[in-house]
Amino acid sequence: MSRTVLEASGVSMTFGGLVALRDVSLTLDNDQIVGLIGPNGAGKTTFFNCLTGLYSPTAGSVTLRGNRLPANPALVTAAGVARTFQNIRLFPSMTVLENVLVGRHVRMRQGPLASLFHGPVFRRGEAAAGERAMELIEFVGLTKVHDELARNLPYGDQRRLEIARALATDPTVMLLDEPTAGMNPQETDAARQLIFAIRDTGVAVVVIEHDTKFIFSLCDEVSVLVQGELLVSGTPDQVRDDPRVIEAYLGKPTDEIEAQIQAVEARPINEAEGDQA
Amino acid sequence: MTIWMREPDRPALAVPMRAGGAVLAAVGALLSWATFVLNDGPYPGKATLQFFDAPLAVESFRQQVLLLAVAALVITFVPIRGRGRILRALGWGVIAVSAVNLAFIGFNGGGFGAVTVFSGSVAFGGVVALAGGILIVLGAYAGGIEVPVHLEIRLNRYVAWAVLLIAFVGLLLLVAATLTAGGQGGVVNPYAGAMFLSFLGFAGGALTALAGAGVTSWISRLSEQHRPFSIVVLLVCALALPFTGAGTEYWMTVATNIGMYAATALGLNVVVGLAGLLDLGYVAFLGIGAVVAANVSGAAVAAFDIHLPFVVAAILSAVVAGCFGAVVGSPTLRVRGDYLAIVTLAFGEIFVRSAQNDIGGLTNGSNAIPSIPAITMFGTGFNEPIEVLGRGLPSGVLYYFLVVLLVALVMAMFANLKYSRIGRAWIAIREDEDVAKAMGIRTGRAKILAFMVGATTAGLAGAVFAHKLSTVSYESFRFTESVTLLAAVILGGMGTIPGAVLGAAVLFVLPEKLREFSDYRLMMFGLALVLIMRFRPQGLLPDRHRRAELAGEDVEGRKLDEQPTLDVHLPRGIATEGAGE
Repeated sequence: MSRTVLEASGVSMTFGGLVALRDVSLTLDNDQIVGLIGPNGAGKTTFFNCLTGLYSPTAGSVTLRGNRLPANPALVTAAGVARTFQNIRLFPSMTVLENVLVGRHVRMRQGPLASLFHGPVFRRGEAAAGERAMELIEFVGLTKVHDELARNLPYGDQRRLEIARALATDPTVMLLDEPTAGMNPQETDAARQLIFAIRDTGVAVVVIEHDTKFIFSLCDEVSVLVQGELLVSGTPDQVRDDPRVIEAYLGKPTDEIEAQIQAVEARPINEAEGDQA
Repeated sequence: MTIWMREPDRPALAVPMRAGGAVLAAVGALLSWATFVLNDGPYPGKATLQFFDAPLAVESFRQQVLLLAVAALVITFVPIRGRGRILRALGWGVIAVSAVNLAFIGFNGGGFGAVTVFSGSVAFGGVVALAGGILIVLGAYAGGIEVPVHLEIRLNRYVAWAVLLIAFVGLLLLVAATLTAGGQGGVVNPYAGAMFLSFLGFAGGALTALAGAGVTSWISRLSEQHRPFSIVVLLVCALALPFTGAGTEYWMTVATNIGMYAATALGLNVVVGLAGLLDLGYVAFLGIGAVVAANVSGAAVAAFDIHLPFVVAAILSAVVAGCFGAVVGSPTLRVRGDYLAIVTLAFGEIFVRSAQNDIGGLTNGSNAIPSIPAITMFGTGFNEPIEVLGRGLPSGVLYYFLVVLLVALVMAMFANLKYSRIGRAWIAIREDEDVAKAMGIRTGRAKILAFMVGATTAGLAGAVFAHKLSTVSYESFRFTESVTLLAAVILGGMGTIPGAVLGAAVLFVLPEKLREFSDYRLMMFGLALVLIMRFRPQGLLPDRHRRAELAGEDVEGRKLDEQPTLDVHLPRGIATEGAGE
């Protein structure tokens, strides 16, 4: 059964005189993967930062399951929105396991005194957190390297560790900021499978990505952000064929180029072959 | 298959160089080292005599050189893993010992003549030994330096306990020997500094050689596996120090001072090492603790006319200091890095100036608070000598015991906090504050808590400090003290327990031992720090994480670029994470 979990309505963000976002809305159901695409500087990451409480939107509101999210990243994470970062930001000199355990922070109930005395309740809590962390490490496929320092992992593994760490916060909504940046086709495919698997565990996912091919093969819905405004929103097929999207990505064809394209298309096939010979 | 850290330069020359160097060093140890008796009195080790003149005079530094040389000779011909590393360490040991003594005899004797030829007498011992040491090191490189040895010996529990017992007793004896090496410095003993440095060179060479054979890391892994046993034995060993050669009033005082600063440094380690908050005014918390304790313990000029039992006074000191920790911590919510350092520096300065001018009427200004009564428990003053097991122990030994317990308490606190939710939160903040926040950590609270824990620790140490010194003066809490504590933490290795203790020991023993170099003392001290930081930026006993970060080594101590691939890593159990099976 699907229901709306995350709803951003009329979000605007201005920095001084610069309008980074204007009236952007987005709804996300609990079984959905929604993609957010757009050229560089379109405001995708700014929008993410509004969703995660890093920025407080100048106008509009973001609600999670009907509750308005506070403008404090720590509280937003506790409420159930987890994120990864565009350029990987792990805790480099902590091990894989420790990184994920930091993610468990918000779901653990140990005060300073419990931490000081390590009583039986503390130890049970630690053991449970460790178990959950190892589950997630297995989920993303890093069991073998769980005791390695994060900095020593290869690039793709670091991406997956970042996802495991975010999952450790038991999120309702997961925000992935360019999860396949810098990956080769095999790694990209693995990332796609991983994101499907995350969705299947009941976590709604929002993905920012440049790679439109990746987005169209992954998402249930795609929104296109251009110069801080929502241009189109719909299923991958609708978005792919929308001339405005092509225009936003490739620029508007001038009349001259258009004429050439038409001329090429109009040519008989054998003539084209003759050209190559 | 052997993986080299450094390929052999000239394998054919390796054995002759190593053996020749060892023989040279041994011969050097037996020759005379000084051409005449120095002005300040005879140099230790009967330096002007040759072996043939006095066959039994091989003692002191000459004995050290001889031992290292013989060990090098044996290792050269005994097939053992990590030979290159061991020999390199032994060679450097020989170089250090000979260089220290050569330099000292040379300077004190007024020139090069003192250690070579002077009015008919010859003394080439030092020069020959130095050459031997250099040859051993070159020989070690000629034969190649291997990757660190990973000793893996399976032992049953009781054998392991016996091994650990021997190791810890050895550590105790080493600590006692290091502490007393060269004896008490001063007018009566002008060579204390030289003898101490010489011993450090010897012990450093020998320990590094053991590390090269993989023994030290094996022992440390073993102690990790038998953690409770190791903790108990270590504690007993620490309490047994007064029963060794270090059991005199003077050494007990030195050890007590080290302990107090070690406890304080551990508190600072929470703030700097774990949470990554640079605190330049930390010693103020030690001062606050000391002032509070001084005022409630029945001193003549105290502001309050009460005499609380020590335990109550200590808790009060800790609580008051902790509150001030929260006060200083709150601005850290808004400032980071350099700016935070300035804020804390200012706080330290505010404390010193207020204490100096008696603002608040609690510190008695520049007159200080004198004659604070000694701690008394069970009818015994802590400044009295006592008798344990029929053995008389010097006065001050009770303070030593108290400080050992204090350090043990602080260590337990530090370890428990480090491996907990809050400890991980601190480390996460140190690594990347924004991401820590995005992971749901309330960074503001965590940072204030770090300051409070650090301050509480220092306050506790301050209470002992006040009683032990019996005088609390603002002069003990100047900026230089903060810097020294910070240096102790960084020198020992940030974020680790043994590191902070070792750092504190080094930084507070060295000035004590180098007294006769008075004018050059601070300069040499600074130089030593620069050298250590240049060649070991991760600190003397680093966290494995820090080591990776600062030395480019992986957790096993291999250089990262030497590492084949991630896939062939040795599988290590998660035993170290505390998940018992």
